Amino acid sequence: MATNLFAVGTRALSVNSAMLDSVSNNISNANTEGYSRQEVKLATESSLETGSGFIGRGVRIATIDRANDPYLTREANQTASSAAADATRLAKLRMIESALPLGQSGIGYAAGAMLNAFVDIANQPQDLSARLVMLSQAEELAARTRAASDELNRTQAGIVSDLQGAVGQVNALAKQLADTNAKILAVNGTGHAPNDLLDQRDLLVKKLNELVQVSTINASDGTASVFVGGGQKLVLGSKAETLTLTRDEFDPSMARLAISGPGYTIALNENMLKGGSIGGLLQVQNNDLGEAKNLLGQMTTALAWSVNQQQSLGIDLSSPAQAGSPIFSVGEPQVLASVKNVSPPDILPLNLTVVDARYLQASDYSLVADADNPGQYIVTRLSDGQVNTLVDGDTFDGLQLNITNSIDNADKFLLRPVGNAASQMMRVLDKPSGIAAASPFTAVTQAANTGTASVESLTIKESADIGLPPSNGDAISIVFTSATGDFELQSPPGSAIDTGTWQAGKPIVYNGFELKLNGVPQMGDAITIEQTAYPMSNNGNALAILALRDADLVGREHLASGAETPGNTITNAYSQVIGQIGVSVQSAKTTANISSSLAQNANDLLVSKQGVNLDEEAARLIQYQQSYQASAKILQIAQRVFDTMLTIGN
Amino acid sequence: MRTTSANQFDNAILNLQRRQEQLTESQNQLTSGKRVSIASDDPVAAAQAERALSAIARNTANQRGLEASRSAMSLSESALGEAVEMVQQARETLIAAGNGSYSEVERKALVNKLKDIRGQLLSAANRADGGGGYLFGGQGSSNTPPFIDTPNGVSFLGQGGETQASSADNLSLTLDGGRIWLQAKSGNGIFETSHQGSNSGNAWVTSGSVTQPAELPYPAATGDTPLSYSIVFTDTGSGIVYDVLEDGAAIVSGEPYNNGKSITIEGRGMEVTVNGNPADGDTFDITQSNNNLSIFDALDAAMATLSQPGASAAATQQAVNTGLTRVDSVLSNLQAARSAAGESLNRMDNLEGRNSNLKLSAEAALSQAQDLDMVNAISKFKTMSTGYDAALQSYAMVQKLSLFQYLS
Repeated sequence: MATNLFAVGTRALSVNSAMLDSVSNNISNANTEGYSRQEVKLATESSLETGSGFIGRGVRIATIDRANDPYLTREANQTASSAAADATRLAKLRMIESALPLGQSGIGYAAGAMLNAFVDIANQPQDLSARLVMLSQAEELAARTRAASDELNRTQAGIVSDLQGAVGQVNALAKQLADTNAKILAVNGTGHAPNDLLDQRDLLVKKLNELVQVSTINASDGTASVFVGGGQKLVLGSKAETLTLTRDEFDPSMARLAISGPGYTIALNENMLKGGSIGGLLQVQNNDLGEAKNLLGQMTTALAWSVNQQQSLGIDLSSPAQAGSPIFSVGEPQVLASVKNVSPPDILPLNLTVVDARYLQASDYSLVADADNPGQYIVTRLSDGQVNTLVDGDTFDGLQLNITNSIDNADKFLLRPVGNAASQMMRVLDKPSGIAAASPFTAVTQAANTGTASVESLTIKESADIGLPPSNGDAISIVFTSATGDFELQSPPGSAIDTGTWQAGKPIVYNGFELKLNGVPQMGDAITIEQTAYPMSNNGNALAILALRDADLVGREHLASGAETPGNTITNAYSQVIGQIGVSVQSAKTTANISSSLAQNANDLLVSKQGVNLDEEAARLIQYQQSYQASAKILQIAQRVFDTMLTIGN
Repeated sequence: MRTTSANQFDNAILNLQRRQEQLTESQNQLTSGKRVSIASDDPVAAAQAERALSAIARNTANQRGLEASRSAMSLSESALGEAVEMVQQARETLIAAGNGSYSEVERKALVNKLKDIRGQLLSAANRADGGGGYLFGGQGSSNTPPFIDTPNGVSFLGQGGETQASSADNLSLTLDGGRIWLQAKSGNGIFETSHQGSNSGNAWVTSGSVTQPAELPYPAATGDTPLSYSIVFTDTGSGIVYDVLEDGAAIVSGEPYNNGKSITIEGRGMEVTVNGNPADGDTFDITQSNNNLSIFDALDAAMATLSQPGASAAATQQAVNTGLTRVDSVLSNLQAARSAAGESLNRMDNLEGRNSNLKLSAEAALSQAQDLDMVNAISKFKTMSTGYDAALQSYAMVQKLSLFQYLS
C-alpha cells in the first residue's frame, strides 16, 4: 500500500518538476524569435486493478506540446511576404522619385530655362554673352538629364546587387531548412514532436517568405518541402536546390532568376514570383524602372530632336553663314539581340533611326520575323501590346525600321528606342557663334503697300525643297490680287508659282516656311521673302526655337484609325512624368501600409496563439509550485505511514 | 484576444515609432513651409507646381523681351522727337530762304544751317541701340551704320521691316529705317508737281490739291502705268495760254493763263496753281505721288538750288515751295512713326501690367499647390504631439504592470 503511495508521490513530484521546467523554459524564451509556448500534457497513469476496483497510480507526462496553428502560420507568412515586397518596392520607387527632382532643381525647369535663354538671344542676336548663357543652360539641362539617368541606372545596379544578396540568403536558408528537415527525420518515430526543431523550421520558412514567397507541403515523415515561383522545388526533404541569378537574355544589366541543381538550370517564371523582397525588386526592375527610363528618354529625345531640328533650319554666325549644327546629342535607339539567337551576336541585322522624335512612345518593342510572310516583321509595343507588321524601311511611332541582314525566324530582338537616350544626353555645340539664331529668309513688306499688313513672323518650319524658291536663292513675292486676300506667290516677279487665299490668323505656307501677318493687306500689296542679308542682326530662328515652349513635342501618336493624338509641351511632359511617378510612389505607399498592417494583424493572431504571456506563466509557476509542494507532502505522508508500520512491528 | 508579452511590447514600440514618424513629417512640413517637397506627397499638386514654376520663369523671360523692346522703342521715340524738331527748324529756314530780299550771302548762311540740320538728321537715323544694333536698322543691316552718305544721296543698307521681339504681342526691337527716313510720300501725297529744268520764265507751281477724290486718276490700278500730266504754256503774242496734256494727248488746250489763278484739271479732280510769268514753252508736270521721298534728298535738292549763284527768284521760289511741300510730307511721316513708337510704348505699359498679373497668379498657383496651410499644420502638429505624449505616458504606466511585481 505504502509502496504505491511512494510511487505516486515520486511520479507527481517529477511531473510537477517538469511542469515547472516547462514554465521556466517559456519564461526564458518569452522574447525568442519564433518560439512557440510549450505546454506539458498530462495523463493519468494506468490504474491498478484490484479485486475492489481500479486504484489510480498517479500522473504521467503524455507529451510536450507547442502552441501552434498551421493555418495562422501560413497566413502570417504570406502576408509578411507581401508586406516585404511592397516595402522593398516602395523604397526603390522613392529612389526613382528622387532621381527626378521637383522645382528649380528639376529637369523641366532646366529645359524651360534653356528655351527661355533664347529670349535674350532674340533681343540681341549679335550679343555673344546671351549665346553663352544659352549654351550653359543647355549644358545644365544635359547634365541634369544625365544625372537623373545615372541615378536610375544606379537604382538598377542596386536592384541587381540586392537581388544577389537576397538570393544568397535564400540559398543559405534553404540549406538550413534541408538540414533541419534531416534532423527532424532522425527523431521521427519517437512519437513526440521535436518542438524546437519545428519552431526553427517555421522560422526558416518565415524568413524565406520575407525574401520570396514560398509554399510548403508537409510530408508524412515529418519533413516539409518548399516550392518557389509557382511549383519549382527549392527544398525537397533534406535536399536543397540553388536559386541563381542570371542575366536577362536581351539586356545584360537586368537580372533574372533560375533554379539550378546538378546538371540543370530552369528559368523561373517571374510572373509567378510574387512577394518577398525579391518579388518587390523584380517588379521595380521589370515595370517601374523601365517605365521611368523610357519616359525620361522620350522627353529628352523629343526635346533634343526638336531643338536640333529647328536649329538646323536656321543659319549661324559663321562666314558664310551655315545651317545650324546640332546643339544636343542623345543616346541612339538600341536594338538588343537575345543571347539565344542563332545569328551571330556581334552583327545586328537591323537598326532603328529616329524619323520624327515627336512621335516616339515611352515603350520598348519586341521584334520577330513573321514566319508565314518572309520579309515581314512583327513588332509589338510592350507597353500596351499593340502589334505592327512591318517591312524594311517602314516607319512606326517616329522610328524607321532598317533591316540590314536576314533574320532567322527563331531570333528575337528587343527594340529600345528611348530607354538609353537620357544617359548620353550631351550638349555638343561649343561655339556661341554656332547658335543658328537667324532665319535664312526675311520677309519684307513693300514700301508702296497701301494696306496695314505687317509681318508678324516668318518661321522656317521644316526642311525645304532646295530646288524651289526661296531655298534656291530666288526671292518670292507674295502679291495680293484682290481685296479679299487672294494672293499669288511670284518668283521671279510676275510669274506665279502658287496661289492661295489669306485669312486673318492663318499663315501663308510654302516650301517649308510659314508667314504670319498682322493687319490686313490691300489689293496690290506685296511682301517679298528674300535671303537674309545680315544674319548677325536677324533673330527669326531664335524666335522659332522659343516657340518650341508651346509646341506639342512629346508623345504625339498616329492612331490606327488615321487620327492623331496631340503631344505635350515639354513643361507638361515633365510634370506628367513627375505626376506619374508620384502617383506610383503614393499608391505603393498605400499598398505598403495596407499590406504591413495585414501582416501585423496576421502576426498578432498567430502570436496570440503561440507567444508567451509572462503574467500567465507567473500564475502557472505558482500553480505548479503548489502542486510540487503537495506532491512532496505525499512523500512525507508515505514516509510517516511507513514509519508507523515499522513502529507497529516493535 | 490573448495577448503575449513580447508582442505587446513590440506593438507598443511600433506604434510609438509610427507616431514619431508622423510627428517628424509634420515638423518637416512646418519648418520648410512646404506641403509638397517630393512628388508623392501630392502628385497632382506637384505637377501643378511644376507648371506654375515654368509659367513664372517664362513670364520673367517675356518681361526681359518686353524690356528690350521698350528700351529700343523709347530710344527711337526720342530720336524721332529730335528729328521732328530739326525738320521743323529746316522748314523755318526754308521759309526764310524764300524771302525775296535776301542776298546770296544771306541765303548761303541759311544753306549752311540746312546742311547742319541734315548732318544731325543723319546721325539721328544712325543712332545705335547701345547693344551693337541700330534703332532704325530694320531687319538687319551690315555692321556699319545702316544709313550711308553717298554722292547720290543717303541710302539704307539694311533689309526693310522690323525685327520682332520675343513676344506674342508683336513688339519690335528695331524700326524700319528705310520707310521712316527715305520713303515719305512725295508731292501732296496723291500727286507730285514739278517744273522742268529747261523752263525759262519765272513761274513756279504749287503742290496742288484734290478737288474731286472720286475723279482722281491715282493711285493707278495694279499693273497699269500711272498717267502723267503736263501743263504747257504758249505765248500767243496776245497773251499766255496753256494746254494740259494727259500722256502727251491734250485734254485742255488754249486756256488763257492768269497769274495766281488756280488751274483745275477737269474730270481728273486735281487743281494746281502756277504763279509768276511763264515763258513760251515752259512746262510743269504732274505725276503720281511715290513712297520714295527721302528727307535727305529733299534737303539736298533745296540746298542745291538755293546755293546756285545767280538763281532766279522763280527758281528760288520753286525750290522753297517744293522744299516746303517735301518737308511737310517728311514731317508727317516722321510724326506718324513717332506716334507709332509712342503707341507701342503705351501698349507695353499695359502688357507689363498683364504680365505682372499673370506672374502673380502663377505665383499664387505655385503657393496654393505646394505651400503649407500653417494654421492647419500647427493644429495638426499640436494634436499629434499630444497624442504622442499620451502614448508615451500609457506605455510607461502599462510596462510597470506585471504579476511578478506582486510575487515575493
